[in-house]
Parts: sequence; C-alpha cells; structure tokens
Amino acid sequence: MKRIISLLLVLAMVLSLAACGDNGVTPVVSGDQGGQNEVVPVNPEEVVEVEGDYIYKDAVSTLATNWNPHTYQTADDLYPQNYTTDSLYTLIFNDARHPVEGKEPFEGYMIVPAMAADYPVDVTESVKAEHPEFNIPESATSGFAWSVKLRDDLKWDDGTPITANDFVGSLERVLRPELLNYRAADYYEGTYAVVNGKNYALAGHASYLDNGIQGVQIEEMTKNEEGQYTYDDGKLVYIAVDYSLDWLGGDTLAAYVDAYGADMFGMDNWDALLALADQDGLVPCTDDNLALLSSVTTANPAWGESDAELFNYLALYESSYDADYDFSNVGLYAPADDELVFVYSSSLEGFYLMTYGMNVPLVKIDLYDSLLKEEQTASGSVWSSTYCTNVETSCSYGPYKVSDYQLDKSMHFVKNENWAGWNYEWINYVDPEDGLTYQMYQTTEIDTQVVSEPSTQKQMFLSGQLMGYGLQAEDFDQYRNSEYYYATPAETIFFLLFNGYETEIAKREAAADFDATTTDLQTQMLESFRRACAVSIDRELMAATVSPARKGGYAFLGDTYIYDPETCAYYRDTDQAKMALVDFYSIDLDDYNGDLDAAVDSITGLDPVTAKEKFAEAYQEALDLGYVTDNDGDGLSDQTVTMVYAMSGEMSEFYRKTLDFLNSQLNAGAAGTGFEGKILITPSAPVGNAWSDNLRNGQMDTQLAGWSGGSLDPFGTALTWTDPAQAYWGNWWDANNHDMTVNIDGTDVTMSIRDFALALNGTPVTVDGVEYNYGYGVADTEVRLDILAEIERQMLVAYNCVPIMQDAGGSLLSQQIYHVVEDYNPMLSRGGIQYDKYNYNEEEWAAYVASQGGSLQY
Amino acid sequence: MVKYALQRTFYMIIVFLIITLMCFILIRMLPQPALPPEDPHSQVIELRREALGYNEPYLVQFGLFAKNVITKFDWGLSEKLYFGQDVWEIFVGKLPATMIVNLYSILLSIPIGIALGIFAALKKNTWIDYAISTLTMVVISVPSFVYAFIIQYIFCYKLGWFPFLMKSGTDWFSWPMFVSMIPAVMSLSFGVIAGFTRTTRAELTEVLTSEFMLLARTKGLTKAQATIRHALKNCFVVIVPGIFGEFIGILGGSLIIERIFSVPGVGGLTLNAITGLDYNIFILSTCFYTAIGLAASLVVDISYGFIDPRIRMGSKK
Repeated sequence: MKRIISLLLVLAMVLSLAACGDNGVTPVVSGDQGGQNEVVPVNPEEVVEVEGDYIYKDAVSTLATNWNPHTYQTADDLYPQNYTTDSLYTLIFNDARHPVEGKEPFEGYMIVPAMAADYPVDVTESVKAEHPEFNIPESATSGFAWSVKLRDDLKWDDGTPITANDFVGSLERVLRPELLNYRAADYYEGTYAVVNGKNYALAGHASYLDNGIQGVQIEEMTKNEEGQYTYDDGKLVYIAVDYSLDWLGGDTLAAYVDAYGADMFGMDNWDALLALADQDGLVPCTDDNLALLSSVTTANPAWGESDAELFNYLALYESSYDADYDFSNVGLYAPADDELVFVYSSSLEGFYLMTYGMNVPLVKIDLYDSLLKEEQTASGSVWSSTYCTNVETSCSYGPYKVSDYQLDKSMHFVKNENWAGWNYEWINYVDPEDGLTYQMYQTTEIDTQVVSEPSTQKQMFLSGQLMGYGLQAEDFDQYRNSEYYYATPAETIFFLLFNGYETEIAKREAAADFDATTTDLQTQMLESFRRACAVSIDRELMAATVSPARKGGYAFLGDTYIYDPETCAYYRDTDQAKMALVDFYSIDLDDYNGDLDAAVDSITGLDPVTAKEKFAEAYQEALDLGYVTDNDGDGLSDQTVTMVYAMSGEMSEFYRKTLDFLNSQLNAGAAGTGFEGKILITPSAPVGNAWSDNLRNGQMDTQLAGWSGGSLDPFGTALTWTDPAQAYWGNWWDANNHDMTVNIDGTDVTMSIRDFALALNGTPVTVDGVEYNYGYGVADTEVRLDILAEIERQMLVAYNCVPIMQDAGGSLLSQQIYHVVEDYNPMLSRGGIQYDKYNYNEEEWAAYVASQGGSLQY
Repeated sequence: MVKYALQRTFYMIIVFLIITLMCFILIRMLPQPALPPEDPHSQVIELRREALGYNEPYLVQFGLFAKNVITKFDWGLSEKLYFGQDVWEIFVGKLPATMIVNLYSILLSIPIGIALGIFAALKKNTWIDYAISTLTMVVISVPSFVYAFIIQYIFCYKLGWFPFLMKSGTDWFSWPMFVSMIPAVMSLSFGVIAGFTRTTRAELTEVLTSEFMLLARTKGLTKAQATIRHALKNCFVVIVPGIFGEFIGILGGSLIIERIFSVPGVGGLTLNAITGLDYNIFILSTCFYTAIGLAASLVVDISYGFIDPRIRMGSKK
C-alpha cells in the first residue's frame, strides 16, 4: 500500500511539474512556505446549502456617481466596482493548507486564476520573433510577453459572452487619445503597463522634461543654427514661462509672477517674455530670451536667485508622439477569442505580473460606444460618457450587479447569476470557525445608503440597520474593548515639521510687528533643538490622547508596508528597517543583549534624559548665535521659541488637543534647561489648502502633516521624501545635495540620497562614470532593503520632520455577521464580502433586534 | 400696473444677465487645483482642461455657453461631480425631493404659525401670550439642525416611530415615503412656525389697537368679526409676502437637513459645485436661483397691490 501511495505521489509531482512547464508561472503563495500550494477543489456535495436572505447593509458618506473604469476619479466611485467586476487573477486565503480537522485560522494567501483559465505562459521568444513592433530586446528570453487563456464561460450580466476581443477593445478605448480618459495613465504609465500604450494615448502631443529636476546646466548645452539651446544630441530646450514645473509644485512661473508681481520679480521684461510663449507656454531658449528671463528672476532680491539658477526654468523637449500611431503596436492582442497576449517593456513575473500587469479595465463595448458623447468647447471639443452612471448604463461581470441606483441617495446590488465565478474551483472554502465548507458570497444583496452624519450611522448601527460603524474619537473609550471592535492600520504617517527656511524666518523676524524681545523663530532651525523635540514626545500617549484610532509613528514607513507581496513580507520586520530605528533613537543594542526585536519594542519616542541634554545644548547654541538672550540672568531664555502651526481649518477639538499635547510634552522635555516653559506651538489663522504652500515657503513653521505611499511599494515612497519638489522642506534642504554610503556586495557606494532613491526605483544613475540601477528585478532584494533603510535613516537624521503617529481606523462589526479571520491582512483585509459569514438571516435578525428592545449592546 | 410689471421684467432680465456673466467669470477665475507633478494623471487632466477650453478667454467661453443655452437649452455636462452627465437632468432630477419636503413643511408650518400668532395676539399680555412668545424666541434662536438631531434621536432611534433616512425611490406621494419624510419636515417646520407666529402676533397686536378697530367695534361688529374682517386683512400685507418667500424657498433646500436625513435634493449642489469647480453645475444652479429670486421679488411686489389696493405699484404719486 505504501509503495502504491509513494508511486502515486511521485506521479502527481511529475504531472504537476509538467503542467507548469518551463514557461509556466509558479503559483504565488504567501505566509508559511510549507504545505500545499495548490487550490484543492471541494466536492460540491460537501458544500453547505445556506437558506434565506442575507442583505449587507452598508452606509457611505458619498455615493459613487461614475463607476466607469475609464473615467472614475474618486475612491467613492470605486465602490461599485468592488462588487461588479472581476479580474484575470485574484487573491484568496490559502485555506487549502489548513485542513478541516485543524480549524486553524487563515494566515496566508495565494493568487489563483479567476477569469483566466490557467496561470500565464511565457511567450517572450515567439512574440519577439513574430512581432518586431513591440521592440522586445534581442537579449530578452523571458518575462516580456505572456499568454493567458480565458475561461470559456465568461459572461456579462445580461448573458452576452466576454471574449478576448472585449479586453483588447477595452484597453484601446481607455487609451484612445481623443477620449482623454482620466484613467488612461493607469494603463500606459509605470513598470506594469503594456508596451507602447503611452505612444497611443498621447498620439499627437509633445512631452518635455522639467530641467529643475533633470539638472542639465546651460553650460552643458549647445546652440543650433537658430541660436536655440539644445541638449542630448540636438533636442531643443525651451524656457518654461507658462508651463507647469514639477519643482514649483506643478505651478508655472507665470502663476508665481501673477501672484507676487513686483514684490518678488523684475517686471520690466516680463510682458515681452510672456508674449513669446507658444500655446504650451514655452519660449525657445536663446541667449536673448534667457536675458529676458534673467531680468525677471534675478532682478528682485526678494526672489533671491542668480543666473546660476536659470536652468531650473528650462523645459527639455523629450519626444513627440506620432499623431497616427496605431493601436496594433500596443502590447495587448488577442490571437484567439479565448487567448490574450500581454507584452511589456521590461521583464515581469509573479505577483506583479498577474495583478498590476494584467489589469484591464473591461467595458461592454457596444454599450460603451453608444454612450460616448462629443461636447463642443471653446477649444474645439471634448468627449464624455455616461457609461456606468446608472442602472441602465451599467454592466457587471462580477459577483453582483447594480439593481437600483438613486443619485446621491442609495444603491442596491443583487447577485449576478451570470457571473462565471460561481464555477471557479476555489469558490468553495472551508470556514475555520466550524470546519464546514461553504460557497463564497453568502451575501445575497447589498443595500448601500448615503448616511453623511456619523451620529446617524451610529444610531442605525445600534438599531441593527448597518453592518459596521467607523468609530469616532469620542467612541473609543466605550467600544475599544468590545469583542466586535476591529482595528485597521493604514499607511499614512503623520510628522511634526520644522521650518528651516533661514531667509524667510529672518524676514518674519524683521517685520515691524515682530517682538524680538519675547519671541524667537530661529532656534527651531538648530538640529539639537529638533533632536530634543524628537525624543520629548511619547508617541503612543499622543495617539491615545489626540486621536485614539491611531498609534505611534516612529519612522518614515509604518508597519503596513509589504516589500515582497509574494511572501507577504513586511518591511518593518526586516533587520535593516529595525536597525534604522535603533540607530535613529540611539538605542544601545548591548542593553538588550543584541536582541534587535527587544530593542525596537523598547522605543516609545520618549527619552527624557537625551531630551534634556539636547535642549540644554540647543539653548547654549541659541545664546551663542544670538537667537535668544538671557538679559535678566535667570538662566531662562528671554524669548519663547515659537513655531506657527499652519491651520487648514478652524480650531477644532483635534487641533486643540494636538497643540496642547505637543506644548505640554515639549516643555516637559525642556524642564531644567533654559527653554523650560519657553516653547510654544501656536495656531495660525485658518489658511485652507494654502497650508502646505505656507510651510514650503517658510511663512509658517509646523504641522502634523501626513505622508503615505502604496502599501506594496515601500521603495517607491523614497522617491517622494527625497524629491525637493514634493517635500515640505524643498526650499532649504535638498536630498540631491546630501550624500550617503551603502556597502553593496562588499563595496562602499556613495551618491546623493536622491540618486539612491532614483536608482532604487529603476532609474539608472551614473556616478563617476559608473551606472547604478537597483530597481525591482535588477538588484537583489536584500540590497534594495539595505538602501531603503539607509535612505530612511538619513531622512530621519536630517530632522526636517519627526514621525509622530501612524494612521489607523477602528470600527465595530454587526452581530449579524462575522469575519472568517480576525487578523488584518493588507492584501485581503479580513476577507471582504466574499468571506463574510452571517449569524442570522434577515428574518432571524429582525427578531433578534426586536428581542433586544431595538437597541443592541456592543 | 402692466407697464410697471413689464418695466420690472425688463430690468430683471438685465440684472439676470449681469449676475450670470459675473458668476461665470468669477467661478472660472478660481484657480483649478494644482496638479501633483508626480501623478501620472496630471498629464491627461492638463490636456482635458485645454480641450475643455478653460485656457480660452472668459468671454469666448461665455459666448459658447450662452449660445448653447439659448439655442439648444444645453447647459452642458458635468465635468467633476457627475462626470459626463447632463447637468440640467441632474438638477431637475434632484429638485422634486427638495420641493416635496419643503412643501410639506410649509403646509404644516404656515397655518400653525399664523394660528399661534393670532392666538398670542388675542391673548396679549396673558400667560398664554408669554408662553408662546418665549417658546417662539427659543425656537427661532436654535438652528434647525439641532432639532434634526434631537428628532432623529428621539423619534427614530429611541422610539423607532420613523425611519432614520428618507426612503429611496421616486414614489414621492406614497405613504411610506411620506412617513420617511416626517422627521425632516418636522425639523424644517419649527423655525418657520416660530417665524410666522412672531410676525403674525406683532402685526395683529398693532392692528388690534388701531382706531379703525375701535370704530368697527363701535359700529357693532363682534370681536371675532372685527378681527377676521379687518385686523387680519391688514396684517396680511406683511404676512403674505412671507408666505410667498417660503414657497420660493421650497426650491432652495436645506444643506444640513438634507444631509442628516439623506434627502437626495439640491441642498448641497451649489456649494459642492463651487468646491469641486464643476462650472456647468454651478452656473445652472446660479442662473436658476437668480431667476427664481428675481421673479419672486417681482411677484411679491405686485402682490402688495392685490392685498392692499391702497398700495399703487408704479405710481409716482
């Protein structure tokens, strides 16, 4: 018997290997690497039949108005798509690895084919040979082209079959140049976009590079016969007079001149320069025109620039997109009704290939085309569509379909009986609660109402009329320990900013109404002062006091970032990330016997001894530099170190608590030093959305500003921190000017922090004649982690800002329903609606609520 | 009177055009949100703004807008809030919910308000008058959204008599829809009742002490006859324009009440259009309310002549 079993096992292994073949994708499985990786189909006879109506009653503050996958613009508009769409590949909990008898909770996940019939097959070699239009590099042997077979039972909700041509037609429409679809960029920009999509989408347009970012000096350029400067073998250079510049935060020079005029700029030649601008707002870069520009940007000392900075206002012609570019050159085609071929400009595989790389915004072509409308405008015309804006113009290919919709009021979904997913082999799963097998999507209907007021949501929830309630700050004390409470972490980290714009601070102190005998703005520029502030704030206590749903923030990246989605590995769990924290907070590993985890766990952000030491140091420095005085000789600063908090709105409870807590903690940290009781964070007048500009230009000093990035791309977030155009401190601290060194494969590599960030994200960077690229798929993951952790550490020790809180939310779940997993998973949350199970059907629930007197206890 | 009405109508059209042009230009002068340079969507948005003609001179844009409205009654498509949808259809689709809630509210409030005002005036300087007047002052001083939250908490949550939200659907005159509107109607009514009570009481109190009322009584009319035939008629010179105003307000909607009870009306439309810089929705709602406001003032002015023939409209004497 044993021999027979062994033989069968060997045979099974051989068959499965053969099935994968050399070109097949290995299924992606996260979590525990042991165990079974394949979906184990469940015998349909084992599936428990669930009777009754199960209506998921949801509330939103804003209802979707346009869920057209080509044009939607907000997260609210994504809401219906969660129920009405499907994908080629999807994620499920890896329940097959947890046998019924164990009833272990789900831990990992796996990617499985959904609309695809099987995993993708690498066809790089054949596509390279047969389709030269895709320009697959001669050296490439894999990862550039993938074939996907579609299931043969795919249907729209009206029963119309979905074929490969629908996918191709949908991509063509989202990219169609005249439609100018908002979502087009999702499918032509970035690593995961199919090849040549951008050429098609931007056909007829020209693109320019922002030289403020590129940094090509005028001396490095050459002039052509017309006297216009060129770069890179003849590409033309322009002056960006009324053209958006990244380093100006997307604004134009013209916008700045309009706003500040003679207060900041030389205006004598401005009109002459502006008159030369073409329809894109560009002026040919010649010596004469540069002289005009120079007279604008350097004539007024208030703007504070010289000719050496003129290069920042130049736009470098990059390319023009052929107006007649044909979609057949774009990297998605259908060799057959049930087969798609995706072609990429770089090698892709695994998780990213099957999720981001094969994401096509499917639309029902005939309906879509019938709803397109061309509107005449002052500039010609523009196209719009009412596709997916009401029941009649919607089409579903997901588990639910829209059955009723009232603008700004409500939306109702019922099961889509024509969804192919009801036949997916993974649609049945074993519930770890009871060990029985169920079909996913027990919810029979979804009823979504607009409920704008949290108090109304709460009352409805307590009356059993909603499935969940997002807790408000005042609710936490009452419900934090409820068994129905769920905390959900988020990516955003909130930082306390410091102003380092020396010239602006000097200007503010020179103002007539500034009282230098009692107030000081300059001390906040001292690193010692900032370090003292950084270790004076107990992060967890602050979160608990100010915003109970949130928790302490300690670094640029919080604990939700996954650096390897194939294994669900968290960046914050890596040794590199832990060491960055230990270094920043000056933790001595020896105190913890070298235990890195224990050292990290000990960090609270509060270190009173160091705080006192650094405040004392800062006080002495401030005295020496004349920032503060001690004329009465009492050992205390005569001035209060003041930081103006940029208020976006009126004073609220959150602001009041934030300011009170920060002032209290900072002054406690400074106790016993010359700054005791002499630190004040004071609110500005409300400035609306201008708060960020006020911080960037040094007019205001601080705020609890948030930053986040994609949870699956911690490496990409480094681009944001190090970009002076995006950073709050871009006017006085530039990551391009600060070097760092990382030991890579035994060699110390030194370049600017910004260059490391660029190289880390796949942009080749040349330093001393050597090209570096540490992008995904190019460099080893450990090397990439080393670089990212060092960038993070460098940004922390720059003390432009101090991480304070990490965003999170807390909610209650109705007693009518339960999640099959308790722990939050960034990829699958707690399973979503496909895994949600009901304790009561509608009839039973109504009786239960009535038995509780109409008001439930949580 | 006809000449006066025609003259006012002509002026009304001039004022309407001036307001429309001013609003058209002012909303476009608000800067479009800065496009994040790192966002790949920025390029498409920039191209779309260009295609939409936002960079053309304001008067060129206004010319095309006016031409479309006048020749085709085409108010354009929404670009932000309801992408691609006809703004007129959106506006007209949302008006009924606002109108019906407000209609129920004033149908309930005006009779009650006037009745309480009459009662208080007739019982002047008694505890009844004091009670009504005090209550009126309290109610007027408290914003309607406070009542909304209290009503929702007591009647919807604690007692469970009414649903929390207005019912979905367009069966405006069905019983379930009516029941679902009651909390919103009640919330809107308190202030209106108090307003009419106060106005009616004040006017009637003054009229009741007039000499002609004494004359009426000396001629043998009962107090009720004198009050109904003479006093009320006189104080309606002030009350009727208020009633007109309330009916015109039907079209306006209350942002906060609609929000609390999920009334899918026009309450927040103009504000959202300004916030989202959805030009076409803003211009349509501005034009609509401007036209309604101007027409209302004309109707109210003309109504004075009908209510009190002593008032001569357009007369230079």
